[in-house]
Amino acid sequence: MNMAWRPCALIPSHNHSGAVPEIVDRLRAHNLAVFIVDDGSDAVHAERLAALEDVDHAIHAVRLDPNQGKGGAVLHGFQLAMAAGFTHVLQIDADGQHDLGAIGRLLELSRGKPQALVTGVPVYDRSVPLGRAIGRYATHIWVWIETLSLAISDSMCGLRVYPLAAVAALWADGEHIGRRMDFDTEIIVRLFWRGVEVVEQPVAVTYPEGNTSNFDLWRDNVRISRMHARLFFGMLRRLPQLLSRQRATSRHWAWIAERGAYAGLRFSGVAARLLGRRGCLVVLAPIVLYFYLTGREQRRASAAFLRQAASHGANVRVPQSFGTGFRHFMSFAARAVDTFIGWTGRMAADAVQPGQVNDLIEAERSPYGALFIVAHIGNVDLARALLDEETRRRLLVLVHTKHAENYNRLLKSYRPEAALNTWQVTDLGPAAAMELKSRVEQGAWVVIAGDRIPVNSDRVSTIPFLGRPAPFSQGPYILAALLDCPVYTLFCLRQGDHHVLDVEKLADRIVLPRQARDAALDSYAASFAARLERYAIAEPLQWYNFFDFWNPTPKEPRP
Amino acid sequence: MDDLEHDIKALIIDALKLEDVQPEDIDSEEMLFGTGLGLDSIDALELGVALRRRYGLKIETITDEIKAHFANVRSLASFVRAQGQGGSEANAVA
Repeated sequence: MNMAWRPCALIPSHNHSGAVPEIVDRLRAHNLAVFIVDDGSDAVHAERLAALEDVDHAIHAVRLDPNQGKGGAVLHGFQLAMAAGFTHVLQIDADGQHDLGAIGRLLELSRGKPQALVTGVPVYDRSVPLGRAIGRYATHIWVWIETLSLAISDSMCGLRVYPLAAVAALWADGEHIGRRMDFDTEIIVRLFWRGVEVVEQPVAVTYPEGNTSNFDLWRDNVRISRMHARLFFGMLRRLPQLLSRQRATSRHWAWIAERGAYAGLRFSGVAARLLGRRGCLVVLAPIVLYFYLTGREQRRASAAFLRQAASHGANVRVPQSFGTGFRHFMSFAARAVDTFIGWTGRMAADAVQPGQVNDLIEAERSPYGALFIVAHIGNVDLARALLDEETRRRLLVLVHTKHAENYNRLLKSYRPEAALNTWQVTDLGPAAAMELKSRVEQGAWVVIAGDRIPVNSDRVSTIPFLGRPAPFSQGPYILAALLDCPVYTLFCLRQGDHHVLDVEKLADRIVLPRQARDAALDSYAASFAARLERYAIAEPLQWYNFFDFWNPTPKEPRP
Repeated sequence: MDDLEHDIKALIIDALKLEDVQPEDIDSEEMLFGTGLGLDSIDALELGVALRRRYGLKIETITDEIKAHFANVRSLASFVRAQGQGGSEANAVA
């Protein structure tokens, strides 16, 4: 069915008039009728805007007095357009920040999909103020949560083509639409909730020199926070529909989860700097809630682990309860925050305290390298705080996945000088083994996780863990035998407001006698598993293997 | 016996610490992995390291193609020759 498509243009303006004549010319070049809504501007601007009226050429200027706010002005313009029989409104900001060359493309997209909302996605040049950029990013994350989707990648752009029928329906239902700076975001989220498709088009944006923004840092931020609170609870009410819609339409869920996690990490980085640890966790709580509600597989894994740990003496409350599961997820967020605080070099001097470290001192004294086996429990990243600069440079971390590499790249972008040497190993072949051996001979400390099974590995020992047989990788012990160096386990768990570092020797060197090779591998894996179990029982909420640990699916392990 | 094949047998025995085995005990056609000599994937890795070190073979990871070369001593010898550094260097080291 072909919907009617009769577009016009709308320029809401509050104290901007310099760029408006040029914008009007460009809109007229597309044969669009133009509505200029002067939103209570000062006399000088009001006069200039009024002078642009030219009814013979379909240019209308109206004035609102007193000032209504951007949303008020746009909604007023919508009413005028509807009354004049138009079906679509191209809305453009009056300050001239948008690339006018994009107008044609936006109209074309709207004509092709008349039922959709077409929105520009700003592509900034370097003129954007930093504070504004960070604020925008925080809003993007909120909108992703509020829509449970990444369909809207920028919700604040003031260059859009609105389908008036959808706006009118929103209006008729009496839904709340912010009248000021909260307008652009609230209307797009609410239209999305109603099933309006959002089509995006990149648009170059320049902040013109001497541009006076009407954005009031304090009042508008409070308004925007209130809007997000409204939308967040609106999202919770609509959760079932949004989730079922997402299943139906989502681009790759895995892709979204990955992008979400990445965005979350970035966000924690910014927030950690601005708010400190506690403030950060408060801000992150809704994001964690989002992952908790949508990550069914991880939620199940968490519950299964906590149940198993509780049955072995761990002090956790009935693990099926919402509270404990959510706390487990929050603990993971806290870990990310701690890591960022560590990376930005703002960690308190006593944030990591030595526990059992005699073996660490021995390793530090030896010029020869060593192998350190770690696990996804507590926060190994922070252990470096206790190492001196020279020792830190000895570290070489083996990572299995691209995920881990992304994570590391992100960390590096915060503090390149504190970067860790990492090495992605998907398959330990002779070349990698030789290279590692020569590094160890020169003193490298190779770090490898002992609680993850590499993809496609058949080298697994099955060891009882918290009372049920679980697969443990033999990789670390095979590698240790090839490297012919001492092997330690390294754990760093949070206790109260600091972390405690424990380093314990597992073997001076690992020998795998030909006749009893599997038995030897099993026994090393069992010693590691026993240590891991001890920590898992002591601090079950710091366990970060959010997959079925006892029956891992042969997929890529999660980060 | 082919010098290179003999050399490789000695290397296998040395790298994998095969006790009570002499180069003469290994048949050049005998399967090295699974049945035959009964080596496993860890041995393959160790042997790969030793071959790389000794003959400068370019073995990055143990692929299926590499596994085919590792079938027996004879296929290993032709692999070493094919990489062009067989004779002289091996003898120089030995």
